[in-house]
Amino acid sequence: MLILKPASHADDMEVDRKEEIVTPGQVITKDLAFMRGHGTFTLNEQLVASVAGKIERVNKLVSVKPLKTRFNGEIGDVVVGRIAELGNKRWRVDIQGRQEATLLLSSINLPGGVQRRKNEADEMEMRSFFAEGDMLSAEVQAFFGDGGCSLHTRSFKYGKLRNGCLVVAPSALIKRSKSHFISLSCGVDVVLGLNGYIWVQKHVFISPEMQNQPEGLYINENDEISMEEREAISRVCNIITALVNHKQMIYETIIVFMYENSLEYQPVELLSADLQKSLIDSAISQLEAAE
Amino acid sequence: MISKVEKDYISKGIAAGIRNDGRGPNESRQLELETGIINQASGSCRVSVRGGTEVLVGIKVSVGDIQELDTRDEEEEAMKNRADVGRIVCSVECSPSAKIVLDKRQIEEMCILYTQILNRTLNGPQGGLDLYKLCIIPGSVCWILNIDVLILNYGGSVFDAIFMAVRGAIHNTRLAKVKVESTDGAFDFEVEDDETEVLEGRENVPVAVTAFQIDKNHVIDAMPLEEQCSDSSVSVMVNKHGKLCGVQKGLKGSLETSLLINMIQHCQNKGQEVISAMDSFLAQEERRIIDLVEPVGFR
Repeated sequence: MLILKPASHADDMEVDRKEEIVTPGQVITKDLAFMRGHGTFTLNEQLVASVAGKIERVNKLVSVKPLKTRFNGEIGDVVVGRIAELGNKRWRVDIQGRQEATLLLSSINLPGGVQRRKNEADEMEMRSFFAEGDMLSAEVQAFFGDGGCSLHTRSFKYGKLRNGCLVVAPSALIKRSKSHFISLSCGVDVVLGLNGYIWVQKHVFISPEMQNQPEGLYINENDEISMEEREAISRVCNIITALVNHKQMIYETIIVFMYENSLEYQPVELLSADLQKSLIDSAISQLEAAE
Repeated sequence: MISKVEKDYISKGIAAGIRNDGRGPNESRQLELETGIINQASGSCRVSVRGGTEVLVGIKVSVGDIQELDTRDEEEEAMKNRADVGRIVCSVECSPSAKIVLDKRQIEEMCILYTQILNRTLNGPQGGLDLYKLCIIPGSVCWILNIDVLILNYGGSVFDAIFMAVRGAIHNTRLAKVKVESTDGAFDFEVEDDETEVLEGRENVPVAVTAFQIDKNHVIDAMPLEEQCSDSSVSVMVNKHGKLCGVQKGLKGSLETSLLINMIQHCQNKGQEVISAMDSFLAQEERRIIDLVEPVGFR
């Protein structure tokens, strides 16, 4: 049992507390000076965890961040999703959330014009933009009253995903960073969706001229992918799975370090649990040394 | 659900000999197997494949009436008339907490399908177990092996994992010894709880290997996305001698004869590899249990 001291004790605030893990029902504190945050409730004047996860404290507010949870988006989050169904002027997108997100026809870029009103013809051929099962990257635009979120793809960064494959991680493991579009030196691009879906693809060069030609936005075919590129993609996928298996945060630098360290092995060897462990350990020590 | 480009990426990768996780078409994933993890069961086994699939099997033996069998299944009908065999009753269920892409109805269908294949395979001579040894008093009482399979998580190739777990659990099962006495023509029996024996013929129980056809190629130990790329699958049951114990065609597509033969042969070879690896591991497990080392259990 962990008993926190009230935040009013100034010296305690400075203490760098080791990450504490609690399970549901475990008493976090008996001190009523704390405020009840997400993942906690009060029982018999005690603050008790309602989920299994890590205790997070901001001044007097104590919350528990669960490892296994549905994705709770925030406006501006980059997400990777899969089209679940088509509706009236909208798509329903699976983003590992409590409910499916909505992508309105009016929040996508249409081929053939920069800005124009969506007409009935566009509505009729919605399936030619995104069909069921298609993967896309998007940004959280707004929230509805019921907590559902609305996405948009109105930037050349976002849109249909091709030339690669999906890796699924718990959303809690994705580290928020400046950019979630990573280009690795090995010619592999990674889209780290904050919702836990990660798209690993071959690097596609987009020239400025091509940006203004949105005909290519919704192609349903892959480019030619060579054996080396496939191996590099598999390697990155396996590195991400290794991080997931060992419950490590996923972000650019750790992927880069692990990629470089793993080059002496075949991608398939990275599936072995022991190798995964040693690669992660060495990458973490490298990261600590670099800081 | 899967997008067109993912399908294209997967099938072209398999044609080139590399899958999404770097495996070749013929390579299977690492897995964990542990027996004797349920104290209340006569035999139990858990198989979990790295990457998702997790299956738990428990076997409970009970004494039952030989005539009691009430089924409309034709194949079981033939066994029904035998008065001198025991029987095996299987059931496959899917845990509601399993991460699964199928809808409720499909899950139900899948469970029924797997139950039937298990029942048919294990209740015949191809099942390996000596069913005559399960008979206690001919025409009256026999042992019934209740095999309950629980799919805890779905990560592709669940049927292979089920068969492996069933085989492990059968290996782990201990039957109480029975003393049969006859007094003036009438038989009576007594179950001796403190003396147990293993199931006769447990080493001959087959394993299943499923090959999924993708374009002109096929893969074994498929992942869920690969299964979705496939039009048809073939599950092959093989015993330790490499003999075919059953073949089940799955999914809705059709197969060319040459590819079918190729797939069956492939599975047959793989099945023997699996069995030899499994048998040496089961021997280790047996030693662990004799040494009274606690199982790791669930993680």
